[in-house]
Amino acid sequence: MKFLGLIRANLGRNKLRTVLTGGAIMLAVVLVCLLLTMPAGLDALLSNIASNTRISVHNKGGVVYSLPYSFTRKVRQVDGVAAATATMWFGGAFEEEGRVTFPNFAVEAEHVGAVYPDYKIPAEQLDDFRRYRDGIIVGRQTMRKYGWKIGDRITLRSTVWPVNLDGRIVGEIPNDRSPIVWLNWTFLDEALKARGGTGLGIANVVWVRATDPERVNAIMREIDDMSRNSEAETACETEKSYFANFFGSMKAFLTIILVVTALVALCIVFIAANTASMGVRERSGELAVLKAIGFGRRVIFGTLLAEAVALSSVAGSSGVLLAIGLTHLLKATTGWSPTLGPLGSFIVTGPVIVQGLFLSLFVGMLAGVVPSFGAARKPVVQTLHEVF
Amino acid sequence: MLPLSYSVRNVTARPLRSLMSSSVIALVVVACSLFLGLISSLKRTVASSGDPLNVVVMRKGSDNDGASWLPLAAYQAIRFFDGIARDSADQPLISPELVVQPFFHTPAGGRENVLVRGVEPVALAVHDKVKIVEGRMFTPSSHEAVLGRGIVGRYLGAQLGDDLKFGHGTWKVVGIFDAAGSSFESEVWIDVRELANDAKRPSPFSGARLRAASAADLEPLMRRIDDDPRYALHAQREADYYAKQSESANSLYVLVIGIAVLAGIGAGFGAANAMYAAVQARTAEIGTLRALGFSRGAILLAFQIEAVALASVGFVIGALASLGLSKLLGVLLGGVGFGAATFTTNVVSLRVSSGDLVAALILAVLIGAFGGFGPAWRAARMRPIEALHKA
Amino acid sequence: MIEVRNVSRSYHRNVDEVHALDDVSVHIDGGHFVAFMGPSGSGKSTLLNLVSGIDRPNSGEVIVAGQRLNDLSEDDLARWRARHVGLIFQFFNLIPVLSARDNVALPLLLTSLKKPERIRRAETALRVVGLDHRMDHTPRTLSGGEQQRVAIARAIVTDPDLIVADEPTGDLDARNAEDILGLLRQLKHDFGKTIVMVTHDPRALRFVDYALHLDKGILLEGEDAERAAEAIRIAAGAHPH
Repeated sequence: MKFLGLIRANLGRNKLRTVLTGGAIMLAVVLVCLLLTMPAGLDALLSNIASNTRISVHNKGGVVYSLPYSFTRKVRQVDGVAAATATMWFGGAFEEEGRVTFPNFAVEAEHVGAVYPDYKIPAEQLDDFRRYRDGIIVGRQTMRKYGWKIGDRITLRSTVWPVNLDGRIVGEIPNDRSPIVWLNWTFLDEALKARGGTGLGIANVVWVRATDPERVNAIMREIDDMSRNSEAETACETEKSYFANFFGSMKAFLTIILVVTALVALCIVFIAANTASMGVRERSGELAVLKAIGFGRRVIFGTLLAEAVALSSVAGSSGVLLAIGLTHLLKATTGWSPTLGPLGSFIVTGPVIVQGLFLSLFVGMLAGVVPSFGAARKPVVQTLHEVF
Repeated sequence: MLPLSYSVRNVTARPLRSLMSSSVIALVVVACSLFLGLISSLKRTVASSGDPLNVVVMRKGSDNDGASWLPLAAYQAIRFFDGIARDSADQPLISPELVVQPFFHTPAGGRENVLVRGVEPVALAVHDKVKIVEGRMFTPSSHEAVLGRGIVGRYLGAQLGDDLKFGHGTWKVVGIFDAAGSSFESEVWIDVRELANDAKRPSPFSGARLRAASAADLEPLMRRIDDDPRYALHAQREADYYAKQSESANSLYVLVIGIAVLAGIGAGFGAANAMYAAVQARTAEIGTLRALGFSRGAILLAFQIEAVALASVGFVIGALASLGLSKLLGVLLGGVGFGAATFTTNVVSLRVSSGDLVAALILAVLIGAFGGFGPAWRAARMRPIEALHKA
Repeated sequence: MIEVRNVSRSYHRNVDEVHALDDVSVHIDGGHFVAFMGPSGSGKSTLLNLVSGIDRPNSGEVIVAGQRLNDLSEDDLARWRARHVGLIFQFFNLIPVLSARDNVALPLLLTSLKKPERIRRAETALRVVGLDHRMDHTPRTLSGGEQQRVAIARAIVTDPDLIVADEPTGDLDARNAEDILGLLRQLKHDFGKTIVMVTHDPRALRFVDYALHLDKGILLEGEDAERAAEAIRIAAGAHPH
């Protein structure tokens, strides 16, 4: 196509400028994509990981208030409940880190598989989890962070219970965004009994899976009714709502992230526009001659616009690719961050890629429009006079 | 050397063009100062939370006073250890406390975990930075509460005189306290035994804070608590305790550095573009200066200074914009909450301090210097005869 | 004052090799106002650049005011130029962002003079060229003739041994051209300056002490020089002053 050749020739005219502009746009797009992974991380948690059939049952006063473990049995008997597991915060500090660096809970090994079938944990691993009291299942994000494999042993010192766990990894939650570690309810229960206590009689949250999304509201109402005048009044909510609330306080932080992202995007527009206008300024003589020969305004406008769009699209696409590469690097070296939580998974999702590409295209158009417009509209004679 | 005015006047001579290039740097400055402002606010909040004479006592292995407990007998024992400061009535300044994080509901329908600290009246003496600025301290053994300044208005019922609902009960807000910008301002304080009842805790205390009589008493006191064989306790300086909490904010620094590097290099490329164009347009001028006898070093320096001047204009615009933007965001968003994953919400107000602006200035200057170097080098290397021929 | 011995200079332009000067030797005494004349491509500008130290010959020697220019490095040449040569260009080549005064004072920045002294000398130079009422103006607000006067002031402000002018009247109208040429002659007359000028302008012959004619990189002598001078005089007759 002749047209493409013309664009390439014009961009090659001042190679250094094209490279600098392209480089600047590429870096800015990388940054935009990286920043956009943060709200995307929260969205992914809410829409992909949270299931529409799971319900959290917890004390109305807060997750740190507890429910009696016996309540779990009553919950299982509610109509429409496919499975339920009690969970309790273990607060284990991984020996080498000295502090809690990933969420870890005690769960009921016989039931947890049925409550989280969408996690796709292989059946043999769940069997091992049931069989071995010291078995633990680890989410892939944490597995990767520490380079653990199935069969490794790790020590967790609880910061809330007078118990240490010498755990054996028997399974993995095959999800890049999952940092959690599950240990056996019976392990904690017996460890507490061994110290002279009555065992693990309380739970933080009882997670329930409904047989049918339509039944969710009814189940939640029934459970709340059951607990209403007891010592531990419950407030049920869907898993999505639970996570949304849990990380709700990060909304303000996310707004700031988006503001910063917008500023960087604006940077891109300025960089591209600056370059476009420099190019147009220098070529005004040429453009005047083209117009004198007879090339119409629309053709000239189109050519200039196409150059700007071509440059920013190529640069932007490279930026998206680079961002994907960088996030792979980040994933391998970082893990769950207590400050960022799900915002810190740095995974470039489909929507982020689309946003990055769209931004590049849009920026190119925006940046190319104004100078091109001016150059195309200027009367021939005026430009020729200015130049010669 | 070429006069400074040469460099500066070349920036002001073409205001629109200079503005386009400086604007890119301005935007980077705004982005970085906003983020830095957020992190330094967070760090400042946490850093100011530790009193140099105070000691935090928790169960051995706990890293968080919300996940710890202190047996009553242990409390009775350490109360009378030597080295603890005493008040005018010769009572030891030790504040036994219970930390719980119940749900609080925001007016917008959201829900956050807030740190509720059950205390005895002696807490005000131990945490001497905490001062009641409105209303009064709660009456012991009552269902009254006092709120830190950061809590006010953020949740339903969090106003002086209102009824605040959390846990299993209702608490009347009788006072508001100030805590010198520390994380205490994101807390609600109520009577410790009332809290223990409400949260159904068998033992009322999760930990204790005590005040050493003098700096010299700190080490021996902490060691004595740690070494006591009867109870598995760990004592640390309050400052160290909070410093550890703020370590998690370090991941945010990584983010800022990432933004500064990526955006900075991009802006540097943009500045380079502008300067290359300027050098090209002023080829004859450069040739003349070289012909007149100005050295290559003088030309290099003059163009470097011009690039840095351009960047400085960008900094000024960006600094003003970030100050305005942070105020606007502060009004629109209220406080920014941190710490969701550790079960508490630390409310931080976004503030761009002079330290943040200094960092942004350094960034802007680096961008100008880095971006301007290539073009300045090209200008300096021009041989007068070629430059004059091009005229 | 100026001694050019067997100098040759050629350079590459795209694919061609251009022999700008071919074995040229020139001797110019101090205090003279000399013109280099010839058609375009004759090598007159190249010769001027060699004499002023802006360019180096491929072979041969250039000695100005006792200094053998071949011996100097690039930086030394720059320093030498700053002290010994005043430069005047066809397109004035003033710094657009500086005032007339600051433009004239520019070469003084390369000396060790303090600011008050620099300003005093710049103002004196401007007075000599008759522009003391325009000292604060930037080039944009000065006419062509005025700009060239500022350039001349800049060229004399360091009290150089040699003043070099490359087509100084090329961009000026008749009236201004005559004024500028007159000013240059006055400088030679009043201050004993050695002035070498490259020009196409036939009017120049009335102001200079003598002219050297070049053609295709060779210095014309004897009859050839006479013929060249005659051609110029005829051309001058065809153009009314």
